[in-house]
Amino acid sequence: MKFELDRVFIEDGCARSPLATRVLRALPPEIPVTYVADAREITRPESGAADPFGAGKRRLVIVNRKTPFLMPCPAGSSKFACCGYLVLTLASNCPMDCSYCFLQEYLADNPAFQVYANYTDSFDELDRLVANARGRSFRVGTGELADSLAFDSLTCVNHDLIEFFVARENLTLELKTKTDEIENLLDVDPRGRVLVSWTLSPDAVYRSSEHRTASPAQRIAAARAVLDAGYRVAFHFDPLIAYSGAERDYLQLIDELLDNIPPKQISFISMGGLRMTPRLRGAARGRFPNDPMLCGEDVIASDGRFRTFTPLRLSLYRALAERFKKAGAEIPAYLCMEPASVHEHVFGAVPARPATIGERLARG
Amino acid sequence: MDADEVDAQIRTLAAERRLPASHLARWLAMDHPSRAAMLEIARTLRLRTGQLVTALDTLEEIAVREHINVAAILDHPEIRRIAHRAGSAPSRASAFLEALRALRYPLLKKTQDELRAEVSALKLPRGISLDLPKDLGSDEVTVSLRVRSGAELARALEALDQKRAGLTRIIEMLGGKK
Repeated sequence: MKFELDRVFIEDGCARSPLATRVLRALPPEIPVTYVADAREITRPESGAADPFGAGKRRLVIVNRKTPFLMPCPAGSSKFACCGYLVLTLASNCPMDCSYCFLQEYLADNPAFQVYANYTDSFDELDRLVANARGRSFRVGTGELADSLAFDSLTCVNHDLIEFFVARENLTLELKTKTDEIENLLDVDPRGRVLVSWTLSPDAVYRSSEHRTASPAQRIAAARAVLDAGYRVAFHFDPLIAYSGAERDYLQLIDELLDNIPPKQISFISMGGLRMTPRLRGAARGRFPNDPMLCGEDVIASDGRFRTFTPLRLSLYRALAERFKKAGAEIPAYLCMEPASVHEHVFGAVPARPATIGERLARG
Repeated sequence: MDADEVDAQIRTLAAERRLPASHLARWLAMDHPSRAAMLEIARTLRLRTGQLVTALDTLEEIAVREHINVAAILDHPEIRRIAHRAGSAPSRASAFLEALRALRYPLLKKTQDELRAEVSALKLPRGISLDLPKDLGSDEVTVSLRVRSGAELARALEALDQKRAGLTRIIEMLGGKK
């Protein structure tokens, strides 16, 4: 386990669950474990903590999830040309601490790092999804409200998850991460049904903003290793941050990526400019007052979020898209949380419907 | 002026202006030369509460991004020129904030200037106007026609069609084309 925890709490109802058993077996002995009848209070911000959100990340809570595991991507909106991504929430919050992370707002009221002991119940939801939409393919990811791999050495959830997905040809699992915690993936045969995707940022962003993550070079090396182990790989250039020298650095990063991963073996790429609601921007700047990446040329956009002003943001998208195009392979690409007109500016064509994009990305 | 005296004067000014406590705290947290330079400009330009808040926010953002202190920003030639030029304090205060904004958003300012020059070069006839999105926060331009008859409408549409290439170029610039 690379990430540090202060305490572990286990709710009574799941004390004997396989997940709790695995965590207790792998947990370093010095970390105290407390059993509680109701963990709801534990998940809330710690009163008196200087940084309640940061403190929440160090408190692992094993609970049963009482609401559905499967949901459409929370970033989705009719205003945007979306990618049809479905989110499977098996954990909530993340041990890494990126200054721009939307979880600082999204999980502000329950920041504890929760993992759900009853995660196999999600398999019934997935089977119902497939049964109700015969012939359609879905890309389902666990990396929206948590990093998909960060704590897998402790929870070992991905083994069960992969076994489930490889048996269902209409489902593709996406494990999204900023770590190089891939050991548990290497002894499972993904049979083409599992994508591992990395968020990639230049070194300048990694050093300034992506605390406790693997370095960009480590992420690319991990991608190479899982590719060799039979996984599909994808990359998210999101958030794309338009700092001084960004275009040069992102293009260099792409060159490094393509030196290690042949373009034809990249399942897709996504791009999304840094966007922050005013509340998130306030929270992020409050926690990371000296991060220059949070002080870009951002203005209030038509969706009420702070974004890099449009021509600069779009010129960065265009530069990256052009570099991938020059690489010679037609790598599927989409933009996250951008309207159709922006897709048209960047890719020269109106995007397909979300369901169509989702199917294409799922099938690979 | 020693540090204690500067701090006392900052507190007095903040009380007079009813500056929010969070902004006073951030002002007092600056290094001594920055605290003093900010006090001097606030006095010289007689900055009002809202202007003080905007200035402190903007200065802080520039300082973080450029890795310099507030005193160095306030020592910028353009800022010094505004602070010491002739004119009323309110007009200089307004120019000061505009100059800070140009330092905070240099590429935005440059792009806005370029786009405005493009719009101006179109020489749109009376009755046709083109508005760029506020702060270039979207890729949407608004083209307005003011007509009073069918003939005027026909002339306006014909004039607009003649400007198609220039309009397209502006839309492409908004779309990130260099």
